Amino acid sequence: MQTILNVNDLSVNFDTSQGLIKAVDNISFSIKKGECLGIAGESGSGKTQTFFSITGILSDNGTATGIADFNDVDLLKLTEKELSKIRGKKIGFIFQDPMTSLTPHMNIGNQLIEVSMIHKKNTKNDALKKAKEVLDIVKLPRIENLLKKYPHELSGGMRQRVMIGISLMCDPLFIIADEPTTALDVTTQKEILKIFNDLKKYKDITIALISHDIGVISEVSDTILIMNEGRIIEKGNCKEVLTSPKHEYTKHLLSCVPEWMK
Amino acid sequence: MIQLIIKRLAIAIPTLIIIIAFVFGLMRVAPGGPFTNERALPPEIEQKINEAYDLDKPLIQQFGIYLSKIAKGDLGPSYKYKDFTVNELILSGFPISLTLGISAIIISLLLGSLLGIIAAIKRNTIFDYAVMGISLIGICVPSFVLAPILSLFFGLYLGFLPISGWNGGNIYNLILPVVSLSLPQIAIISRMMRSSTIETLNSNFIRTARAKGIPKRRIITKHVIRSSILPIIDYLAPATAGLMTGSIIIEQIFGLPGIGRYFVVGALQRDYTLVSGVMILYASLLMFLILLSDILRAILDPRVKIK
Ligand SMILES: Nc1ncnc2c1ncn2[C@@H]1O[C@H](COP(=O)(O)OP(=O)(O)OP(=O)(O)O)[C@@H](O)[C@H]1O
Ligand SMILES: [Mg+2]
Repeated sequence: MQTILNVNDLSVNFDTSQGLIKAVDNISFSIKKGECLGIAGESGSGKTQTFFSITGILSDNGTATGIADFNDVDLLKLTEKELSKIRGKKIGFIFQDPMTSLTPHMNIGNQLIEVSMIHKKNTKNDALKKAKEVLDIVKLPRIENLLKKYPHELSGGMRQRVMIGISLMCDPLFIIADEPTTALDVTTQKEILKIFNDLKKYKDITIALISHDIGVISEVSDTILIMNEGRIIEKGNCKEVLTSPKHEYTKHLLSCVPEWMK
Repeated sequence: MIQLIIKRLAIAIPTLIIIIAFVFGLMRVAPGGPFTNERALPPEIEQKINEAYDLDKPLIQQFGIYLSKIAKGDLGPSYKYKDFTVNELILSGFPISLTLGISAIIISLLLGSLLGIIAAIKRNTIFDYAVMGISLIGICVPSFVLAPILSLFFGLYLGFLPISGWNGGNIYNLILPVVSLSLPQIAIISRMMRSSTIETLNSNFIRTARAKGIPKRRIITKHVIRSSILPIIDYLAPATAGLMTGSIIIEQIFGLPGIGRYFVVGALQRDYTLVSGVMILYASLLMFLILLSDILRAILDPRVKIK
């Protein structure tokens, strides 16, 4: 299988008043086309910043070094303008906090259609058609009505589905989902994970699924990365790593998962 | 929306009555009366005048008479400007003060917001430091200090602009007073706008917009401004109040025949009806602006339910 993302010696540093903080420390990994990579690790281990740096959405005080080849283009060498043509078009991003991740004063329809109108130069009508299509994929009911609603009128689960919908507007090759279910209840969590499984199966989309919840990762991922303090502790096939962890830290992480989940 | 307006009107009337009562009370507490002079009038004449103006009646009755007149839209005769009613005085001065105020508010809002947004986008650059530095001075220097300095420089040294008079609303006559009135407000608004824009730029939904690949310019115009302008909308009424008090002084400095001077002259000479007439006008204007800013807020922010 073809490699879609190849990360080499990636480091992320933050310039703070307390000096330089190393959030990601010289990591390397790759993702194959159509694969789902799970990234696990405790809070602050650098999971999020790894993918923020690859897509160029780090905070102003952050810098990234290394190589991140996406379809043989090094994303870290692109300008902001070039990157913005890839983000939202070829790479979709789903964020951790659905309650605050949508623009409060823009209705759902406009937040969806602007993506394909900008990247694909779609007409408003075509974009609306696509919007209805993706909302159907994420299993949102009464779509016509929903397009006119504002984020505050939606529940957390619905907003996260809209976020996933937004990431699908341009049929991306690759989706990064950063703790997509952390803020949601267990039932909604299951339904969202089912959407990811469907995307993988029917659309052949490559997924990076970030979570500190091993249970969530094991439901969707083929391969897994264990991160701690900015480094990769262990990587490999998801089932193998979870059933026979080699590293002490992985064992420790697994011991925190309730028995029934294994 | 109509419900909101009706509700506000219902609140506005008792508020106005309280304000009228307060001004009425304050003026009576101040020593002397409208017809007290350095050379005392013969008591019989003073008695006659007081009767003519109902000033001999008990206070509460005076207040009642006054209120009922106001309800009919009659602010009463001026005690000091002979042969003029308060309505006539206000009508002659108000267009001038209004022109001054509206120009100052529009300029402050536009320029203040624009500078604030650009400073936020270019934060920690020379532009940002320059805007913030100058605005700090702008906040510290009140318009009554700024106005003479500006007239001295542009009016007297350079001779570009007239330094006093209304001249039928000639634009050149307006420039110096409007600039002196606006600069402190521009300073305040640009600082507010800068910090609220920075806050919005750091919010999660802007990160989403960036992750969607939206071009920078569109992120600012479509995603940032409508959120970051909200504190400015809330500031609209306080800004107006600031401009009103500022304009009383500015009108004096630039010799503009607005209502500001009636307020000052009226207060100094215990022209009861004139002072409270101007106060009623100011209070109504302020309440109108609070209503306006509430309506604007509801339009800009869908989370606000109009009640
Ligand atoms: N703007 C910033 N300035 C300074 N340090 C930062 C900044 N952003 C992130 N960090 C630091 O980078 C480290 C890694 O953060 P990251 O967000 O990648 O953690 P994470 O693994 O995603 O954790 P979580 O599970 O809590 O989301 C943390 O120690 C964090 O404090
Ligand atoms: Mg994170």
